[in-house]
Amino acid sequence: MPTKTMQRKIYKPSEIVDFIVIGSGASGGIMARELSRAGNSVVVMEQGPRMGPGDFEHDELKYRNLSGITNNPNTNPQTFRSDPNQKATRVAGRNPLTYARIVGGSSAHFNANFWRLHEIDFIEGSKLGPIEGASLVDWPITYAELEPYYTKVEWEVGVSGLAGASPFDPWRSKPYPMPPLPVKSSGVLFERGGRKLGLHPYPAPMAINSQVYKGRPPCAQCGLCGGFGCEVMAKSSSVWTVIPEAEATGRCEVRSDSYVFRIGMDQAGRATGVHFFDNKKVEHFQKARAVVVCANGSETPKLLLNSATPQFANGLANSSGKVGRYLMFNKGGGVAARFENPLNEYKGANVTRVIHDFYDSDPKRGFYGGGGFDARSGGPLTWGQSVPDGTPTWGPKFKEYLESYNYWMTCAGHGTSLAQETNRVDIDPELKDAWGVPAMRVTYKDHADDIKHAKWMVERGKEIMDAAGAVQIDPGEVGAANGGVHLLGTCRMGNNSDTSVIDKYHRTHDVKNLFLCDGSSMVTSGRGQPTQTIEALAFRAGDHIAKFARRGEI
Amino acid sequence: MAQTIPSRRQFLAAVGNLASASWIAMNWPDIAFAAEHAGHDMKGMAGEPSPPSTLTTLSVAEAADIDAIANQIVPGGTSPGAHDAKVIYFIDSALGTFFAAQLPNMRQGLAEFKSAYAVRFGADKPFASAPEAQQIAWLKEVDKTPFFTAVRRLTLLGLIALPKYGGNHDNIGWKLMGVEDNHFWEPPFGYYDKDYPGFEPYPGTKPYTA
Repeated sequence: MPTKTMQRKIYKPSEIVDFIVIGSGASGGIMARELSRAGNSVVVMEQGPRMGPGDFEHDELKYRNLSGITNNPNTNPQTFRSDPNQKATRVAGRNPLTYARIVGGSSAHFNANFWRLHEIDFIEGSKLGPIEGASLVDWPITYAELEPYYTKVEWEVGVSGLAGASPFDPWRSKPYPMPPLPVKSSGVLFERGGRKLGLHPYPAPMAINSQVYKGRPPCAQCGLCGGFGCEVMAKSSSVWTVIPEAEATGRCEVRSDSYVFRIGMDQAGRATGVHFFDNKKVEHFQKARAVVVCANGSETPKLLLNSATPQFANGLANSSGKVGRYLMFNKGGGVAARFENPLNEYKGANVTRVIHDFYDSDPKRGFYGGGGFDARSGGPLTWGQSVPDGTPTWGPKFKEYLESYNYWMTCAGHGTSLAQETNRVDIDPELKDAWGVPAMRVTYKDHADDIKHAKWMVERGKEIMDAAGAVQIDPGEVGAANGGVHLLGTCRMGNNSDTSVIDKYHRTHDVKNLFLCDGSSMVTSGRGQPTQTIEALAFRAGDHIAKFARRGEI
Repeated sequence: MAQTIPSRRQFLAAVGNLASASWIAMNWPDIAFAAEHAGHDMKGMAGEPSPPSTLTTLSVAEAADIDAIANQIVPGGTSPGAHDAKVIYFIDSALGTFFAAQLPNMRQGLAEFKSAYAVRFGADKPFASAPEAQQIAWLKEVDKTPFFTAVRRLTLLGLIALPKYGGNHDNIGWKLMGVEDNHFWEPPFGYYDKDYPGFEPYPGTKPYTA
């Protein structure tokens, strides 16, 4: 870990570095560490600023309502439509696709639920497909190939949990390095309800320190995880974990406030570096021998499509036409529930118990879909803005409802979204962002099975909370998806260059020295909580890319 | 706590200096207990600007009507409401800064609200000075309008957002909801986890730790 006195490495844009890593989040931070530790010179380009511990505040208004650390709809606008035949329009006050725009990326503001995918996730295409209207296919890698890297995430980045507690967990080679976080009242009630129904709630695996780990303190139980940066550095965000380790090699520069808008290409079809704006919107070009895009499932396809050249007229690495397609979120459904005594859910890390009994898709239900539940909470400002059906929205009865805040919890279901070719990120023909860069256009419509499964999850949530003794249950509404924060599948990996964008080593099929690794690489959505998989993919890709570099195969 | 309470900046400096990890490990519970975090308590935060406490965007008459509406959305009475929480200063400040784009619509909505109110109840007295029953009766007629919805949202934000934004005066919003003003917590957090006996493994499973 670097100390205050350590000199941070700075490269000149004219220097040809071995790798540019675009994005400093869950995958970018790991990629930077792995490549720089392997002896390569690395520049990490991050759109947003670098924030230190003292910069993060417990400010629900700023972080949840004013795009404090996320892509701001005023400066980074997007358009949305549910039908490819419609004209996409801006949505008032918000963007459909949200991600953190700071060093550490969305790993800085995640809730830190770290679920591994199960073995079935990688082979659902051959086990359950085909499904009409969807592209449910197998991954080009298996759980067994990724397992060592899941373990690496848990030990290198820091995850707390109880190995072997869930009968549904996939096999693992090592336990978690830290015990689970202390249980909250929501976790106790959720566990009580689940056990009563014969289900198997278990301690949530969380990328939050439960004890001092790798020089970082344990969780202060402040209660504000999702949407917030962790100022005590207990949350295992890249900005506190792998980024400082990458910098400690003396070979890695993390360049914040640097917005890459185009990848440079030469006549031979090789990437030569990246065009970017600095914090004064001045354009530069950083030279590199290879480029790794870890910019998230929305920014990665946007960058490739905005990097079209005469040779790659449909966008870079897009000979398949699949760049930006198969966008997936994680559809789910759940309930809020009120209990007789106070839970005080604003205290403590957001999630402490999980149920994976319904993880697998079961053809007997009549539709595709699976998922997990967790017991979770939200901050008071977010909670207070809506009311259950039948509760007045103002007046004395509404005030009474506000007074009941501490008696509520959420039983949240997180599930699958099927890949559909028409669901995509591409470039809006008119809209530009505050830098003049063509903005992204989002086209998305839920698959019918996703809706059915989400509604099914609401019913299971009701049962769990009823069994837990809830005095009031407020079922969540299952509406059409109009955006998300899990941005998956848009540059899917595969063995066939006609149907996928990257190979199983994350190299684009079309450009030998261009690699992609983030949520866009995922072939199926998993059941929510994709970050551990994104990080495992990054450790694995980093291993392979470093080997390719050593062998002169880039 | 017998020891001196460090300021938030001292706390964060200690946490941020990874060279002192072992020191943090030794002192963490005490440090954390003592820490005051921005927005929870301004102690130790010399130099923080005071919350907005005067009108800078709305006129006095506009503010009086919006304040009256807000105070029907979250009324006072046996416990403080939106007026006591000084939500109006949040709304005024918000409409002059981060929600400035909403100001024209808000003004138009308020103008329509006032003129319709005048038609219904007479133009001699503003909504703000009407008897409570009359205010409630009128709000029941207009509580589906975009204007009312916008005032409601701003009222809620002003009631619960950090006091530095002008509302939530004296933590009235948090106190109403039972939220204590602190940086960190320790278990037990609530009623149901205080007697939790520990996780009981399921038959056939063998939980194991590092």
